[in-house]
Amino acid sequence: MKKFLTVVRREYIQRVRAKMFIVSTVLLPAVMSLFIAVPAIIVSIETPPMRVAVVDQTGRMYSQLRQALFNDQQESETQNTNTGGPRTPPRRSFSRFVLEEVKADNQSLDQIRANLDHRMSARDLDGYVILPPDFLSSGQAEFSTRNPGELFAPRVLQSAINRAAREQRLIDANVDSKTRQELFKPVELQSVKAGAASREANTNASFALVFAIGFIMYLAILMYGQIILGAVIEEKETRIAEILFSSVRPFTLMMGKLVGVSLVALTQLTIWGIAFSVFALYGVGVLASQGMPTTIPNLPFSHYIYFGLFFLLGYFIYGTIYALVGSMVTTAQEGGQLAMPIILILVVSFYLFWPVSRAPDSPFSFWVSMIPFTAPVAMLVRIVTQTPPFWQIALSLAIGFSTVLVIMWAAARIYRVGMLMYGKRASIPEAIRWARQA
Amino acid sequence: MAANETTVKVDGVTKSFGEFTAVTELSLNARAGRVFGLIGPNGAGKTTTIRMIVNITAPDSGTILLFGRRIDPSLQDRIGYLPEERGLYKKMRVADQLRFFAEIKNMRGKQVETKIDEWLARVKLSDWKQKRSMELSKGMQQKIQFITAVIHDPDILILDEPFSGLDPVNVELMKEIVLDLKRAGKTIIFSTHQMEVAEKICDDICLLNRSRKVFEGSLREIKSSFGRNSVAVRCEGGDGVLDDPALVSKLVRHVDEDQALLAPGADAQTLLKRLLDAGAVIGKFEMVEPSLNDIFITKVTEPA
Repeated sequence: MKKFLTVVRREYIQRVRAKMFIVSTVLLPAVMSLFIAVPAIIVSIETPPMRVAVVDQTGRMYSQLRQALFNDQQESETQNTNTGGPRTPPRRSFSRFVLEEVKADNQSLDQIRANLDHRMSARDLDGYVILPPDFLSSGQAEFSTRNPGELFAPRVLQSAINRAAREQRLIDANVDSKTRQELFKPVELQSVKAGAASREANTNASFALVFAIGFIMYLAILMYGQIILGAVIEEKETRIAEILFSSVRPFTLMMGKLVGVSLVALTQLTIWGIAFSVFALYGVGVLASQGMPTTIPNLPFSHYIYFGLFFLLGYFIYGTIYALVGSMVTTAQEGGQLAMPIILILVVSFYLFWPVSRAPDSPFSFWVSMIPFTAPVAMLVRIVTQTPPFWQIALSLAIGFSTVLVIMWAAARIYRVGMLMYGKRASIPEAIRWARQA
Repeated sequence: MAANETTVKVDGVTKSFGEFTAVTELSLNARAGRVFGLIGPNGAGKTTTIRMIVNITAPDSGTILLFGRRIDPSLQDRIGYLPEERGLYKKMRVADQLRFFAEIKNMRGKQVETKIDEWLARVKLSDWKQKRSMELSKGMQQKIQFITAVIHDPDILILDEPFSGLDPVNVELMKEIVLDLKRAGKTIIFSTHQMEVAEKICDDICLLNRSRKVFEGSLREIKSSFGRNSVAVRCEGGDGVLDDPALVSKLVRHVDEDQALLAPGADAQTLLKRLLDAGAVIGKFEMVEPSLNDIFITKVTEPA
């Protein structure tokens, strides 16, 4: 055990101290922040409010329109304070308005138009809206602007005029204000998971979470698989293996290397995770201000433990494949090619997402959630859809982690015999024979 | 360890890899406070024998006892092994590297640091303690590799071709260290195919050839059993005499003298007389012990 920890510590410290590790750990969040921050900064550049004159020939619309626009702006600001996150840029900063009513005052429409056009060219005004006398029945209005390329303002304005008109039409039809409010009350639709213990589990968000876990697993395997492979080959390339094997069992060495590299991976993922959460806090604020659902799905605590366990299982199952390949080859390049077909199984296991989520308790779903190579994704899907009995989850984990040990055991034997045999590359049948050889 | 006590006992060991038999029915005994030379040509089975002693591979039959016990992981920690195939972690600093090799042998605590400093001073590499091993010259790396085998103060030290690639000054330095360890009562197994090196350092010899033991015993005994049947000659003229197969079975010409191995039944007096009769001017005529190399070649080429 002490020797195992010695191997783990060497592996961990040597890798974490390496320049490559430090550079890649710092660089990723830096690049990410650049991608996120720069557009956000550009968007948040404050623009002066748009000055719009309203020629209200109906005589009833101006106050309603003002109200509708004002509500928009208020709403976005109250939401910002509610999230309590970092200050987010006001989303509608590009479409804030300053309204001004233009009274007809016996002038003809053409005169008013000419007057307003003049003010626009003098940069005294950014645009004007003309609501003709029959506007409430025809629904036809006119918007002149100095900047027809402005994409957002006309849309915001249109929606505000729309609401204002609707409101005014109801008032005209003598609908009282309480009824008006009730008429526009939005509906809520919630997907609720059936079953005894389930409360308001949000299935869509759960799927997204499982998919995210699967994806991070895939990335972690792609990134660190090669490193595990390199670590296993290291002693062959530096010809240290024989010295080590006179002191430690090959299995101890292999497990030590696997665990050491995995701790490095965990360190890096944690650093990235923290950096990511900082961005996410910022991002959640932005999304929330746009009315996107950003709450974490409300799942039983045990599910989060399962997520962690199956993530580890997936990582180790495929990580050990790289170790096994490493035990057979003499250079890392050879190894990368040999491991690729096996990693394809992981990609395929992603497609199981759909059949398993449609029938989580079918025999098919049961079996794929027991096979170690497909279990991590399949079992997670089953857990968030129809949580299978505990014994199935435990069995799947037991099979998976035993497979990890068996693969490592085989890798250790192949490694040792391979070293004794003039250090040549093993063919698959040879590898099988070596693993069985005493 | 009491001197002369048998610490490594190999008894009737056979090991084969598939069709190929690497070691056949080998028995040998190495003792504390002595250097045991395991010699033989390439492919004789030296490395396989050593690997079985250090428990990297197990014999098919026969037993190996260290300190009277079968090998187990705790005994492994009392062995220091410098294999022929050896290297260092390229990017690790020398001190970290030595600490790792000490810890992997279950050595802990402050004594590790003391030992690192002691040994680096001993091989004159103290200034390189914080350098990465890839910055070291090949000779320096070899000395560090040697330290990895001895840092945990093993009772049994197994060295496989330890001096290959070292310059004469460093060979001398390492030889001194090995002899010091021997005087400290360690059992040293020294494997080589360089006979001149073995001759200078070994107390006991075991000669392996084609997976079998050819002979085993102290270097003294072996040499005296071969008798003084070799003559170092320096002379001018009378060349034909030395080429007579009835007198000389083997002639090795060096720059300043020739070495003649007497044919069976011939004696040195006859040879000297024949040379004088042939008109040779003798500069040197001396009976010498056969070199280990001569014994080796004689034994290996002898029909079984």
